[in-house]
Amino acid sequence: MELTIYGTNALTYPHLHIWDWKIASYLFLGGLTGGALVMSAIANLRKKKTEPHDKACCVKVPLIAPFILLLGMFFIFLDVERKLNSFWFYLTFQPLSPMSWGAWGVGAVIPISFLYGLSTVPDELKHWLVFDFLKKWSKKLNPYMRRLAVINFIMGIFVGIYTGVLLSSFVARPLWNSALLPILFLNSALSTGAALVIIMARKNEVKLFFTKVDIWLILSEITLIALFFYGHYTSSASHRESIMPFFTLSNEFFPYWISILLLSIIFPLVIVLEFLEVKGEHSERLTGFEKFRMNLSALLVLVGGFIIRMALIYAGQLIKMTDKIATKF
Amino acid sequence: MPKYAMVIDQRRCIGCLACIVACKRENHVPEEHYRTRVVEEIDGKAPKLRMELRSELCNHCDNPPCVYNCPTGASYKDKDGTVQINRKKCVGCKACIAACPYDARYINPEHGYADKCTFCQHRLKAGKEPACVATCIGKSRVFGDLDDPSSKVSKLLREYSSWVRLPEAGTHPRVFYIRKQSRPE
Repeated sequence: MELTIYGTNALTYPHLHIWDWKIASYLFLGGLTGGALVMSAIANLRKKKTEPHDKACCVKVPLIAPFILLLGMFFIFLDVERKLNSFWFYLTFQPLSPMSWGAWGVGAVIPISFLYGLSTVPDELKHWLVFDFLKKWSKKLNPYMRRLAVINFIMGIFVGIYTGVLLSSFVARPLWNSALLPILFLNSALSTGAALVIIMARKNEVKLFFTKVDIWLILSEITLIALFFYGHYTSSASHRESIMPFFTLSNEFFPYWISILLLSIIFPLVIVLEFLEVKGEHSERLTGFEKFRMNLSALLVLVGGFIIRMALIYAGQLIKMTDKIATKF
Repeated sequence: MPKYAMVIDQRRCIGCLACIVACKRENHVPEEHYRTRVVEEIDGKAPKLRMELRSELCNHCDNPPCVYNCPTGASYKDKDGTVQINRKKCVGCKACIAACPYDARYINPEHGYADKCTFCQHRLKAGKEPACVATCIGKSRVFGDLDDPSSKVSKLLREYSSWVRLPEAGTHPRVFYIRKQSRPE
Protein backbone atom coordinates (compact mmCIF):
# COMPACT_ATOMS: atom_id res chain seq x y z
CA MET A 1 0.00 0.00 0.00
CA GLU A 2 1.21 3.48 -0.82
CA LEU A 3 0.12 6.32 1.41
CA THR A 4 0.45 10.01 0.58
CA ILE A 5 -0.90 12.61 2.95
CA TYR A 6 -1.25 16.24 1.94
CA GLY A 7 -1.46 18.58 4.92
CA THR A 8 0.15 16.74 7.82
CA ASN A 9 1.08 18.34 11.11
CA ALA A 10 4.56 17.40 12.31
CA LEU A 11 3.21 17.33 15.87
CA THR A 12 0.99 14.34 15.16
CA TYR A 13 2.40 12.65 12.08
CA PRO A 14 3.88 10.08 11.71
CA HIS A 15 3.35 9.85 15.44
CA LEU A 16 2.54 12.04 18.39
CA HIS A 17 5.33 14.33 19.56
CA ILE A 18 3.71 16.16 22.41
CA TRP A 19 5.05 14.83 25.70
CA ASP A 20 8.74 14.26 26.34
CA TRP A 21 11.20 13.77 29.21
CA LYS A 22 9.62 16.62 31.18
CA ILE A 23 6.33 14.75 31.50
CA ALA A 24 8.11 11.44 32.12
CA SER A 25 10.13 13.13 34.91
CA TYR A 26 6.94 14.52 36.43
CA LEU A 27 5.31 11.09 36.34
CA PHE A 28 8.37 9.63 38.08
CA LEU A 29 8.67 12.39 40.70
CA GLY A 30 4.91 12.40 41.32
CA GLY A 31 4.96 8.64 41.81
CA LEU A 32 8.02 8.90 44.04
CA THR A 33 6.25 11.48 46.21
CA GLY A 34 3.10 9.37 46.43
CA GLY A 35 5.09 6.29 47.38
CA ALA A 36 7.20 8.25 49.88
CA LEU A 37 4.07 9.60 51.59
CA VAL A 38 2.50 6.14 51.80
CA MET A 39 5.65 4.45 53.07
CA SER A 40 6.50 7.16 55.60
CA ALA A 41 2.91 7.04 56.86
CA ILE A 42 3.23 3.26 57.28
CA ALA A 43 6.53 3.69 59.12
CA ASN A 44 5.11 6.29 61.49
CA LEU A 45 1.77 4.59 62.09
CA ARG A 46 3.45 1.26 62.90
CA LYS A 47 5.07 2.80 65.99
CA LYS A 48 3.18 2.21 69.21
CA LYS A 49 1.53 5.24 70.80
CA THR A 50 3.25 4.38 74.07
CA GLU A 51 6.58 5.50 72.70
CA PRO A 52 6.29 9.29 72.68
CA HIS A 53 10.02 9.92 72.22
CA ASP A 54 10.00 7.74 69.13
CA LYS A 55 6.66 8.89 67.76
CA ALA A 56 7.87 9.66 64.27
CA CYS A 57 10.54 7.25 63.18
CA CYS A 58 10.47 8.57 59.63
CA VAL A 59 11.18 12.31 59.50
CA LYS A 60 13.39 13.15 56.55
CA VAL A 61 11.21 11.53 53.88
CA PRO A 62 7.97 13.38 54.78
CA LEU A 63 9.98 16.59 55.01
CA ILE A 64 11.41 16.35 51.49
CA ALA A 65 8.30 14.77 49.85
CA PRO A 66 6.52 18.08 49.03
CA PHE A 67 9.74 19.45 47.52
CA ILE A 68 10.07 16.41 45.23
CA LEU A 69 6.51 17.03 44.07
CA LEU A 70 7.25 20.72 43.58
CA LEU A 71 10.20 19.80 41.38
CA GLY A 72 7.87 17.55 39.37
CA MET A 73 5.38 20.40 39.01
CA PHE A 74 8.20 22.61 37.78
CA PHE A 75 8.71 20.16 34.90
CA ILE A 76 4.98 20.33 34.14
CA PHE A 77 5.24 24.10 34.16
CA LEU A 78 8.09 23.88 31.66
CA ASP A 79 5.95 21.68 29.41
CA VAL A 80 2.74 23.71 29.20
CA GLU A 81 2.68 26.03 26.21
CA ARG A 82 0.92 28.96 27.87
CA LYS A 83 2.57 29.25 31.25
CA LEU A 84 0.85 32.46 32.25
CA ASN A 85 -2.53 30.78 31.71
CA SER A 86 -1.81 28.02 34.25
CA PHE A 87 -4.17 29.65 36.76
CA TRP A 88 -7.07 28.32 34.66
CA PHE A 89 -6.41 24.87 36.16
CA TYR A 90 -7.70 26.28 39.45
CA LEU A 91 -10.63 28.34 38.17
CA THR A 92 -12.59 25.29 37.11
CA PHE A 93 -13.08 21.65 37.95
CA GLN A 94 -13.73 19.20 35.14
CA PRO A 95 -15.03 15.96 36.70
CA LEU A 96 -14.31 13.85 33.59
CA SER A 97 -10.73 15.08 33.16
CA PRO A 98 -8.10 13.15 35.15
CA MET A 99 -5.74 16.09 34.58
CA SER A 100 -8.18 18.40 36.36
CA TRP A 101 -8.42 15.93 39.26
CA GLY A 102 -4.62 15.83 39.30
CA ALA A 103 -4.21 19.60 39.29
CA TRP A 104 -6.54 20.00 42.27
CA GLY A 105 -5.22 16.89 44.02
CA VAL A 106 -1.56 17.87 43.71
CA GLY A 107 -2.48 21.42 44.75
CA ALA A 108 -3.88 19.95 47.97
CA VAL A 109 -1.13 17.35 48.51
CA ILE A 110 1.72 19.88 48.56
CA PRO A 111 0.54 21.96 51.58
CA ILE A 112 -0.88 18.98 53.48
CA SER A 113 2.27 16.89 53.02
CA PHE A 114 4.28 19.91 54.12
CA LEU A 115 2.23 20.07 57.34
CA TYR A 116 2.71 16.31 57.75
CA GLY A 117 6.47 16.77 57.36
CA LEU A 118 6.47 19.44 60.06
CA SER A 119 4.38 17.27 62.37
CA THR A 120 6.96 14.47 62.25
CA VAL A 121 9.91 16.60 63.45
CA PRO A 122 10.66 15.71 67.09
CA ASP A 123 11.97 18.29 69.58
CA GLU A 124 15.60 17.14 69.31
CA LEU A 125 15.55 17.73 65.54
CA LYS A 126 13.73 21.06 65.57
CA HIS A 127 17.02 22.77 64.70
CA TRP A 128 16.59 21.36 61.17
CA LEU A 129 13.82 23.91 60.67
CA VAL A 130 15.43 27.14 59.58
CA PHE A 131 12.72 29.62 60.52
CA ASP A 132 11.22 30.16 63.97
CA PHE A 133 7.64 30.11 62.71
CA LEU A 134 8.27 26.63 61.27
CA LYS A 135 9.46 25.45 64.69
CA LYS A 136 6.27 26.86 66.26
CA TRP A 137 4.08 25.19 63.64
CA SER A 138 5.95 21.95 64.08
CA LYS A 139 5.37 22.00 67.85
CA LYS A 140 1.67 22.68 67.34
CA LEU A 141 1.36 19.93 64.73
CA ASN A 142 3.27 17.21 66.63
CA PRO A 143 0.13 15.87 68.39
CA TYR A 144 -1.67 15.51 65.02
CA MET A 145 1.11 13.48 63.38
CA ARG A 146 -0.90 10.24 63.22
CA ARG A 147 -3.98 11.89 61.73
CA LEU A 148 -1.86 13.68 59.16
CA ALA A 149 -0.09 10.39 58.39
CA VAL A 150 -3.45 8.74 57.61
CA ILE A 151 -4.48 11.65 55.34
CA ASN A 152 -1.11 11.55 53.58
CA PHE A 153 -1.36 7.79 53.13
CA ILE A 154 -4.60 8.30 51.18
CA MET A 155 -3.19 11.26 49.26
CA GLY A 156 -0.07 9.29 48.42
CA ILE A 157 -2.23 6.57 46.86
CA PHE A 158 -4.04 9.26 44.86
CA VAL A 159 -0.83 10.85 43.56
CA GLY A 160 0.60 7.43 42.72
CA ILE A 161 -2.41 6.28 40.72
CA TYR A 162 -3.86 9.36 39.00
CA THR A 163 -1.10 9.76 36.40
CA GLY A 164 -1.78 6.20 35.25
CA VAL A 165 -5.52 6.93 35.12
CA LEU A 166 -4.76 10.03 33.04
CA LEU A 167 -2.77 8.11 30.42
CA SER A 168 -5.13 5.14 30.39
CA SER A 169 -8.09 7.40 29.56
CA PHE A 170 -6.72 8.12 26.07
CA VAL A 171 -8.58 5.72 23.81
CA ALA A 172 -6.55 7.08 20.88
CA ARG A 173 -3.24 5.77 22.29
CA PRO A 174 -3.47 1.99 22.54
CA LEU A 175 -0.34 1.47 24.65
CA TRP A 176 -1.67 3.72 27.41
CA ASN A 177 -5.29 2.63 27.04
CA SER A 178 -5.17 -0.17 29.60
CA ALA A 179 -6.84 -0.52 33.00
CA LEU A 180 -3.62 -2.15 34.24
CA LEU A 181 -1.56 1.01 33.70
CA PRO A 182 -2.82 2.89 36.81
CA ILE A 183 -2.14 -0.19 38.95
CA LEU A 184 1.32 -0.56 37.41
CA PHE A 185 2.08 3.12 38.09
CA LEU A 186 0.81 2.83 41.66
CA ASN A 187 2.89 -0.29 42.23
CA SER A 188 5.95 1.42 40.79
CA ALA A 189 5.25 4.52 42.92
CA LEU A 190 5.09 2.42 46.09
CA SER A 191 8.28 0.53 45.26
CA THR A 192 10.21 3.76 44.53
CA GLY A 193 8.77 5.30 47.72
CA ALA A 194 9.99 2.32 49.72
CA ALA A 195 13.40 2.62 48.02
CA LEU A 196 13.62 6.28 49.03
CA VAL A 197 12.84 5.37 52.65
CA ILE A 198 15.52 2.64 52.54
CA ILE A 199 18.11 5.13 51.27
CA MET A 200 17.23 7.86 53.77
CA ALA A 201 16.48 5.81 56.89
CA ARG A 202 19.20 5.64 59.53
CA LYS A 203 17.75 2.85 61.63
CA ASN A 204 18.63 -0.72 60.83
CA GLU A 205 15.12 -2.04 61.52
CA VAL A 206 13.44 0.55 59.26
CA LYS A 207 15.80 -0.27 56.39
CA LEU A 208 15.19 -3.99 56.81
CA PHE A 209 11.42 -3.65 57.10
CA PHE A 210 11.13 -1.64 53.89
CA THR A 211 13.55 -3.96 52.13
CA LYS A 212 11.10 -6.79 52.86
CA VAL A 213 8.21 -4.62 51.63
CA ASP A 214 10.15 -3.75 48.46
CA ILE A 215 10.79 -7.39 47.58
CA TRP A 216 7.04 -8.03 47.39
CA LEU A 217 6.43 -4.78 45.53
CA ILE A 218 9.08 -5.62 42.92
CA LEU A 219 7.67 -9.12 42.50
CA SER A 220 4.18 -7.71 41.91
CA GLU A 221 5.64 -5.08 39.56
CA ILE A 222 7.28 -7.75 37.41
CA THR A 223 3.96 -9.64 37.33
CA LEU A 224 2.07 -6.48 36.39
CA ILE A 225 4.51 -5.61 33.58
CA ALA A 226 4.18 -9.13 32.18
CA LEU A 227 0.37 -8.98 32.41
CA PHE A 228 0.37 -5.50 30.84
CA PHE A 229 2.19 -6.78 27.75
CA TYR A 230 0.16 -9.99 27.66
CA GLY A 231 -3.07 -7.99 27.83
CA HIS A 232 -1.97 -5.83 24.89
CA TYR A 233 -0.77 -8.81 22.88
CA THR A 234 -4.14 -10.55 23.18
CA SER A 235 -6.16 -7.37 22.58
CA SER A 236 -6.98 -5.48 19.35
CA ALA A 237 -4.56 -5.17 16.43
CA SER A 238 -3.57 -1.62 17.39
CA HIS A 239 -2.96 -2.70 21.00
CA ARG A 240 -0.75 -5.53 19.82
CA GLU A 241 1.10 -3.22 17.45
CA SER A 242 1.65 -0.71 20.26
CA ILE A 243 3.85 -3.06 22.31
CA MET A 244 5.95 -4.20 19.36
CA PRO A 245 8.60 -1.46 19.78
CA PHE A 246 9.58 -3.18 23.02
CA PHE A 247 10.15 -6.50 21.27
CA THR A 248 11.61 -5.41 17.93
CA LEU A 249 15.39 -5.59 17.87
CA SER A 250 16.16 -2.78 15.46
CA ASN A 251 17.97 0.55 15.52
CA GLU A 252 14.68 2.38 15.20
CA PHE A 253 13.32 0.94 18.42
CA PHE A 254 16.58 0.83 20.36
CA PRO A 255 15.35 2.89 23.38
CA TYR A 256 12.35 0.59 23.84
CA TRP A 257 13.89 -2.86 23.65
CA ILE A 258 16.89 -1.70 25.66
CA SER A 259 14.52 -0.45 28.38
CA ILE A 260 12.87 -3.87 28.60
CA LEU A 261 16.30 -5.48 28.65
CA LEU A 262 17.44 -3.16 31.46
CA LEU A 263 14.29 -3.74 33.47
CA SER A 264 14.66 -7.48 33.10
CA ILE A 265 18.16 -7.14 34.56
CA ILE A 266 17.46 -4.48 37.20
CA PHE A 267 14.40 -5.95 38.89
CA PRO A 268 15.68 -9.53 39.34
CA LEU A 269 19.01 -8.08 40.54
CA VAL A 270 17.15 -5.95 43.09
CA ILE A 271 15.23 -8.99 44.32
CA VAL A 272 18.45 -10.98 44.75
CA LEU A 273 20.22 -8.09 46.54
CA GLU A 274 17.28 -7.41 48.81
CA PHE A 275 16.73 -11.08 49.51
CA LEU A 276 20.37 -11.38 50.58
CA GLU A 277 19.92 -8.43 52.94
CA VAL A 278 16.82 -9.87 54.53
CA LYS A 279 18.37 -13.34 54.89
CA GLY A 280 21.67 -12.04 56.21
CA GLU A 281 22.31 -11.61 59.90
CA HIS A 282 22.82 -7.98 60.76
CA SER A 283 24.52 -6.59 63.80
CA GLU A 284 23.19 -3.53 65.66
CA ARG A 285 25.14 -1.25 63.33
CA LEU A 286 25.22 -1.90 59.62
CA THR A 287 28.62 -2.45 58.06
CA GLY A 288 29.69 -0.27 55.16
CA PHE A 289 29.19 -3.11 52.67
CA GLU A 290 25.70 -3.90 53.99
CA LYS A 291 24.72 -0.25 53.69
CA PHE A 292 26.17 -0.06 50.20
CA ARG A 293 24.23 -3.16 49.12
CA MET A 294 20.97 -1.82 50.55
CA ASN A 295 21.40 1.60 49.01
CA LEU A 296 22.47 0.13 45.67
CA SER A 297 19.38 -2.08 45.43
CA ALA A 298 17.16 0.88 46.40
CA LEU A 299 18.89 3.09 43.84
CA LEU A 300 18.30 0.44 41.18
CA VAL A 301 14.59 0.48 42.06
CA LEU A 302 14.54 4.24 41.49
CA VAL A 303 16.31 3.82 38.13
CA GLY A 304 13.81 1.10 37.17
CA GLY A 305 10.88 3.36 38.06
CA PHE A 306 12.29 6.16 35.91
CA ILE A 307 12.91 3.80 32.96
CA ILE A 308 9.29 2.58 33.11
CA ARG A 309 7.93 6.14 32.92
CA MET A 310 10.29 7.23 30.13
CA ALA A 311 9.70 4.12 28.02
CA LEU A 312 5.91 4.24 28.38
CA ILE A 313 5.62 7.97 27.68
CA TYR A 314 7.68 7.81 24.48
CA ALA A 315 6.43 4.43 23.22
CA GLY A 316 2.80 5.41 23.87
CA GLN A 317 3.12 8.15 21.26
CA LEU A 318 4.48 5.89 18.52
CA ILE A 319 1.37 3.89 17.68
CA LYS A 320 -2.17 5.15 17.32
CA MET A 321 -5.51 3.73 16.28
CA THR A 322 -5.45 3.72 12.50
CA ASP A 323 -7.98 3.82 9.70
CA LYS A 324 -6.11 0.95 8.07
CA ILE A 325 -7.78 -1.38 10.54
CA ALA A 326 -11.18 0.28 10.33
CA THR A 327 -11.34 0.39 6.55
CA LYS A 328 -10.38 -3.25 6.08
CA PHE A 329 -13.70 -4.41 7.52
CA MET B 1 -30.56 24.62 17.20
CA PRO B 2 -29.12 22.95 14.12
CA LYS B 3 -27.16 19.73 14.36
CA TYR B 4 -24.31 20.35 11.97
CA ALA B 5 -22.57 17.55 10.13
CA MET B 6 -20.39 17.07 7.08
CA VAL B 7 -20.61 14.38 4.45
CA ILE B 8 -17.54 13.68 2.35
CA ASP B 9 -18.54 11.98 -0.87
CA GLN B 10 -15.32 10.16 -1.80
CA ARG B 11 -16.70 9.40 -5.27
CA ARG B 12 -16.50 13.08 -6.13
CA CYS B 13 -13.12 13.97 -4.66
CA ILE B 14 -10.40 14.57 -7.27
CA GLY B 15 -7.61 15.38 -4.80
CA CYS B 16 -7.19 18.97 -5.95
CA LEU B 17 -6.36 20.05 -2.37
CA ALA B 18 -8.37 23.27 -2.78
CA CYS B 19 -10.03 22.50 0.58
CA ILE B 20 -6.65 22.67 2.33
CA VAL B 21 -5.78 25.96 0.66
CA ALA B 22 -9.20 27.51 1.37
CA CYS B 23 -9.04 26.43 5.01
CA LYS B 24 -5.57 27.86 5.53
CA ARG B 25 -6.54 31.11 3.84
CA GLU B 26 -9.85 31.50 5.67
CA ASN B 27 -8.56 30.66 9.15
CA HIS B 28 -5.04 32.06 8.91
CA VAL B 29 -3.62 28.64 9.74
CA PRO B 30 0.10 29.03 10.51
CA GLU B 31 2.80 27.77 8.19
CA GLU B 32 3.40 23.99 8.30
CA HIS B 33 0.13 23.47 10.21
CA TYR B 34 -3.18 22.23 8.82
CA ARG B 35 -6.78 21.88 9.98
CA THR B 36 -7.68 19.52 7.18
CA ARG B 37 -5.68 17.07 5.07
CA VAL B 38 -6.19 14.74 2.13
CA VAL B 39 -5.04 11.15 2.34
CA GLU B 40 -4.29 9.33 -0.90
CA GLU B 41 -4.18 5.58 -0.30
CA ILE B 42 -3.20 3.29 -3.17
CA ASP B 43 -3.83 -0.39 -2.67
CA GLY B 44 -3.30 -3.53 -4.75
CA LYS B 45 -0.64 -4.68 -7.23
CA ALA B 46 0.13 -2.98 -10.54
CA PRO B 47 -1.61 -2.86 -12.94
CA LYS B 48 -4.66 -3.61 -10.76
CA LEU B 49 -4.54 -0.66 -8.42
CA ARG B 50 -7.24 0.97 -6.38
CA MET B 51 -6.99 4.48 -5.01
CA GLU B 52 -8.94 6.00 -2.17
CA LEU B 53 -8.98 9.75 -1.58
CA ARG B 54 -10.03 10.69 1.91
CA SER B 55 -10.33 14.20 3.31
CA GLU B 56 -9.73 14.27 7.03
CA LEU B 57 -10.56 16.94 9.59
CA CYS B 58 -11.92 17.32 13.11
CA ASN B 59 -14.92 15.00 13.38
CA HIS B 60 -16.83 17.22 15.85
CA CYS B 61 -17.69 14.05 17.72
CA ASP B 62 -20.86 13.63 19.74
CA ASN B 63 -18.75 11.86 22.36
CA PRO B 64 -15.57 13.95 22.13
CA PRO B 65 -12.55 12.65 24.14
CA CYS B 66 -10.79 16.01 23.66
CA VAL B 67 -13.58 17.77 25.56
CA TYR B 68 -13.66 15.21 28.38
CA ASN B 69 -9.89 15.33 28.81
CA CYS B 70 -9.56 19.11 28.80
CA PRO B 71 -8.66 20.14 32.38
CA THR B 72 -9.78 23.74 32.05
CA GLY B 73 -12.97 23.47 30.01
CA ALA B 74 -11.30 25.29 27.10
CA SER B 75 -12.51 22.58 24.70
CA TYR B 76 -16.27 22.41 24.72
CA LYS B 77 -19.24 21.14 22.78
CA ASP B 78 -21.23 24.06 21.45
CA LYS B 79 -25.01 24.20 21.18
CA ASP B 80 -24.87 23.54 17.45
CA GLY B 81 -23.02 20.28 18.13
CA THR B 82 -19.62 21.49 16.94
CA VAL B 83 -16.55 21.11 19.13
CA GLN B 84 -14.92 24.48 19.79
CA ILE B 85 -11.96 25.88 21.74
CA ASN B 86 -12.06 28.86 24.07
CA ARG B 87 -8.56 30.15 23.43
CA LYS B 88 -8.45 32.28 26.56
CA LYS B 89 -8.87 29.23 28.78
CA CYS B 90 -6.39 27.00 26.95
CA VAL B 91 -3.16 26.41 28.90
CA GLY B 92 -1.50 24.36 26.15
CA CYS B 93 -1.24 21.16 28.22
CA LYS B 94 -1.79 19.10 25.03
CA ALA B 95 -4.11 16.59 26.70
CA CYS B 96 -6.69 17.18 23.95
CA ILE B 97 -4.09 16.43 21.26
CA ALA B 98 -3.22 13.13 22.95
CA ALA B 99 -6.91 12.32 23.40
CA CYS B 100 -7.96 12.90 19.77
CA PRO B 101 -7.97 9.63 17.81
CA TYR B 102 -8.07 11.59 14.54
CA ASP B 103 -4.96 13.73 15.12
CA ALA B 104 -7.04 16.75 14.24
CA ARG B 105 -5.36 19.21 16.60
CA TYR B 106 -2.13 21.13 16.73
CA ILE B 107 -0.54 23.81 18.89
CA ASN B 108 -0.54 27.28 17.42
CA PRO B 109 3.21 28.00 17.31
CA GLU B 110 2.77 31.73 17.86
CA HIS B 111 0.24 31.80 20.70
CA GLY B 112 0.57 28.32 22.25
CA TYR B 113 -3.11 27.37 22.31
CA ALA B 114 -4.54 24.18 20.84
CA ASP B 115 -6.25 24.74 17.52
CA LYS B 116 -8.30 22.77 15.01
CA CYS B 117 -11.17 22.89 12.50
CA THR B 118 -14.17 24.84 13.79
CA PHE B 119 -16.46 24.00 10.85
CA CYS B 120 -15.78 27.70 10.12
CA GLN B 121 -18.20 28.71 12.85
CA HIS B 122 -17.70 32.40 12.04
CA ARG B 123 -18.95 31.73 8.50
CA LEU B 124 -21.88 29.61 9.74
CA LYS B 125 -22.99 32.51 11.92
CA ALA B 126 -22.94 34.70 8.81
CA GLY B 127 -25.11 32.16 6.97
CA LYS B 128 -22.27 30.80 4.83
CA GLU B 129 -20.87 27.32 4.39
CA PRO B 130 -17.42 26.33 5.72
CA ALA B 131 -14.64 27.54 3.41
CA CYS B 132 -13.61 24.02 2.36
CA VAL B 133 -17.20 23.17 1.38
CA ALA B 134 -17.70 26.41 -0.52
CA THR B 135 -14.51 25.88 -2.51
CA CYS B 136 -14.89 22.17 -3.28
CA ILE B 137 -15.17 22.04 -7.06
CA GLY B 138 -16.25 18.41 -7.21
CA LYS B 139 -18.93 18.99 -4.55
CA SER B 140 -17.35 16.22 -2.57
CA ARG B 141 -17.71 18.06 0.73
CA VAL B 142 -21.32 18.63 1.73
CA PHE B 143 -22.38 20.46 4.87
CA GLY B 144 -25.72 20.84 6.56
CA ASP B 145 -28.12 20.24 9.40
CA LEU B 146 -28.81 16.64 10.35
CA ASP B 147 -32.08 17.64 12.03
CA ASP B 148 -33.38 19.05 8.77
CA PRO B 149 -34.65 16.14 6.63
CA SER B 150 -34.47 18.28 3.50
CA SER B 151 -30.80 19.22 3.97
CA LYS B 152 -28.23 17.83 1.56
CA VAL B 153 -26.44 15.88 4.28
CA SER B 154 -29.65 14.23 5.47
CA LYS B 155 -30.56 13.27 1.92
CA LEU B 156 -27.12 11.82 1.17
CA LEU B 157 -27.04 9.83 4.40
CA ARG B 158 -30.52 8.46 3.64
CA GLU B 159 -29.69 7.53 0.07
CA TYR B 160 -26.22 6.00 0.49
CA SER B 161 -24.52 3.84 3.01
CA SER B 162 -21.89 5.81 4.86
CA TRP B 163 -19.03 5.14 7.23
CA VAL B 164 -17.20 7.07 9.88
CA ARG B 165 -13.55 7.02 10.90
CA LEU B 166 -12.56 4.75 13.80
CA PRO B 167 -16.04 3.78 14.97
CA GLU B 168 -14.40 1.49 17.53
CA ALA B 169 -13.18 4.60 19.39
CA GLY B 170 -16.80 5.26 20.35
CA THR B 171 -16.59 8.95 19.55
CA HIS B 172 -19.70 9.15 17.28
CA PRO B 173 -18.22 11.44 14.62
CA ARG B 174 -20.24 14.07 12.76
CA VAL B 175 -18.18 13.68 9.61
CA PHE B 176 -19.51 10.91 7.39
CA TYR B 177 -17.93 9.33 4.32
CA ILE B 178 -19.52 7.83 1.24
CA ARG B 179 -17.27 5.35 -0.57
CA LYS B 180 -16.96 4.85 -4.30
CA GLN B 181 -18.55 1.43 -4.32
CA SER B 182 -21.23 2.20 -1.77
CA ARG B 183 -24.15 2.88 -4.13
CA PRO B 184 -26.46 -0.14 -4.20
CA GLU B 185 -26.40 -1.94 -7.58
